[in-house]
Amino acid sequence: MNRARLAMLSLAAAIVAAPAAFAHEAAKGKNGGLRVDAGKYHAELVVDGTPTVAVFLSDEDDKPIPAAGFKANAILVIDGKSQRFDLVPAEGSKLTGTAPAAVKPGAKGAIQITAPDGLTAQAKY
Amino acid sequence: MWLPSTRFATSLLLAAAMVAGAASARAHEGHDHGAPPPPTSSTIAPRADASSADLELVAIARGDKLEIYLDTFRGNEPIDGAEIEIDGPGGILKPIAAGAGFYTVVAPFAAKPGSHDLAITIPANGVVDVLTTTLKVSPSTQPQAVATPRQSWGIDPAFAQELGQRVGQPGTSLLISLGLGFIAGVAVTALVLGRRRAAAGLILLALIPLATPTGVLADSAPGISSPGVAARDVSQRFPDGALFVPKPTQRILGLRTIFTEQRAHRRAIELPGRVIPDPNASGLVQAAVGGRLLPPPGGFKPLGTPVKTGDVLAYVNPPISSADLTTQQQQARELDQQISVASRKFERLRAIEKVIARGQLEDAELELKGLHERRANLARANKEPEPLMAPVDGIIAASNAVAGQMAEPNSIIFQIIDPARLWVEALSFEPQSTNGMAQGLFAGGKSIELAYVGTGLADRNQSVPVHFAIRSDTAGLRAGQFMTVLATTANDRTGIALPREAVLRGPNGQSIVYEHSNAERFVPREVRIEQLDAERVLIVAGIEPGKRVVTTGAELLNQIR
Repeated sequence: MNRARLAMLSLAAAIVAAPAAFAHEAAKGKNGGLRVDAGKYHAELVVDGTPTVAVFLSDEDDKPIPAAGFKANAILVIDGKSQRFDLVPAEGSKLTGTAPAAVKPGAKGAIQITAPDGLTAQAKY
Repeated sequence: MWLPSTRFATSLLLAAAMVAGAASARAHEGHDHGAPPPPTSSTIAPRADASSADLELVAIARGDKLEIYLDTFRGNEPIDGAEIEIDGPGGILKPIAAGAGFYTVVAPFAAKPGSHDLAITIPANGVVDVLTTTLKVSPSTQPQAVATPRQSWGIDPAFAQELGQRVGQPGTSLLISLGLGFIAGVAVTALVLGRRRAAAGLILLALIPLATPTGVLADSAPGISSPGVAARDVSQRFPDGALFVPKPTQRILGLRTIFTEQRAHRRAIELPGRVIPDPNASGLVQAAVGGRLLPPPGGFKPLGTPVKTGDVLAYVNPPISSADLTTQQQQARELDQQISVASRKFERLRAIEKVIARGQLEDAELELKGLHERRANLARANKEPEPLMAPVDGIIAASNAVAGQMAEPNSIIFQIIDPARLWVEALSFEPQSTNGMAQGLFAGGKSIELAYVGTGLADRNQSVPVHFAIRSDTAGLRAGQFMTVLATTANDRTGIALPREAVLRGPNGQSIVYEHSNAERFVPREVRIEQLDAERVLIVAGIEPGKRVVTTGAELLNQIR
């Protein structure tokens, strides 16, 4: 009897949780930035009001991917102008770059990522 | 007794969970979020689209050239003079304007097969927007109009294409998921109830369609769309009624859209009405007595002539019958006789002025004077016609005047209307509380602004007359014109207001609107409408706020087969 009840409860919980788990578009990432889809990856853009910009790469299941070998360039709208700059791999799953001006959180733009295998992906913020 | 029912409930819940899970899983599949798939066709050039809250962009690869169409997202209006920059595989490209909202650039990668990521920076209308999109060029670059689809694992390509499109539809995909979920649920129920064999069979049945056709379809998609360098793309209608309309065609059709918003609107009631002249600015010219019409100096004024109050428009000369003439002559003789008698008497009395009372002489003088006046009146009555004068300022709206015509008493000779002051008389079959504003809608589609004046209480054809003054320009209106009066009522209705031209009649007779779902895709949506006012209707069901609905050119869109 108790087992049946437990099953019911867990199922109910699963039903409630199921849609939330899939609706992850433009969600907040683990590093406090905005995480969006980039091809088969997830890319999380972290800006903190300074010119330094970081991008964290992860796979579809949000497991970090080593950034070594990746190349990326960013096009961000800063103070009403579009600015281009390159991002280079740093430690772990992080790519970093320096914008010509301070980037406020919530900046619009795009990141173009080239994987080590030559495939490209884009993330739009 | 309790246990079996718990089992049943558990299995029901399980089934529900499967349904929910299946639907979500399908929505997430292919790592694709949001946008429905682009239309696949064998005759269209490779293309990519991107949009933001303000902009919508379509990039078309034609040979080694990239054509960019840039429009506003909400209105579908071409955007000129944007300095577009494209970050593509070959570096930064700067397309140049080649028409209204049309830009072109040489892009060598556009001719190469593969998937090319493009980040497009668009400074337009004072804001900078960065759009991202992926241009997929399929391997066959031969300039052939209709490529033969590759056989996809024994499945008929036409069927696969149709199925592919259906699966691509969000609604259909949900249905399939629900169906699969249902089978799975039944299977689990059977499992819980201990019918293992049946359950195993059912699970297999549920798994087969999940596993095989999805793989085949995913594979068959690129095989079908193997476009060459098509010189132009043609719009087409899909079996589900959705339309693929290339941007160049959209420009030709002049398609414009409106962004749907839910708002409270004042509802309007429809009343039959007709234009009447303002009673204070119109008048009739009637003959009080019957007689012969005579023109004033300068002749009768033609129709449309402006006149002022008091202007003489005609004269009526009452005829004198022979009997009247005899009576008059008799009266005249009698008067003449009386005058001679009275004047003789007056002369006599004046001669003996000193010996008679002064009052006697004065009486005789007054009598003589009165007789003279009566004689003069009698003479004048034969000659002077009655002048007919304009009672108000305005123009001559109707004229029945013919020189020499015999006018009946009370007959209308002229009608004078001030064309700038017209009213509308509408008939209301039930008492309505209007808030004062109304619109008149003519059969031709023209509409005018009206202001409520008053409602009568006297019954007329089982209705009461309601008067409105015309507020807008009255040019081109005439008294007697029929119209539909849409009077706004005091109670609000909530819904989406759309222009009348946006609502069309579908092939099955239902009201439809076309939703601009993707850059080059239009989906017919069945809607239920209510009258709102002369130019708009209220959508109460069928479409949600935040959609783009085609207004201008919707009728042209409906003709695409």
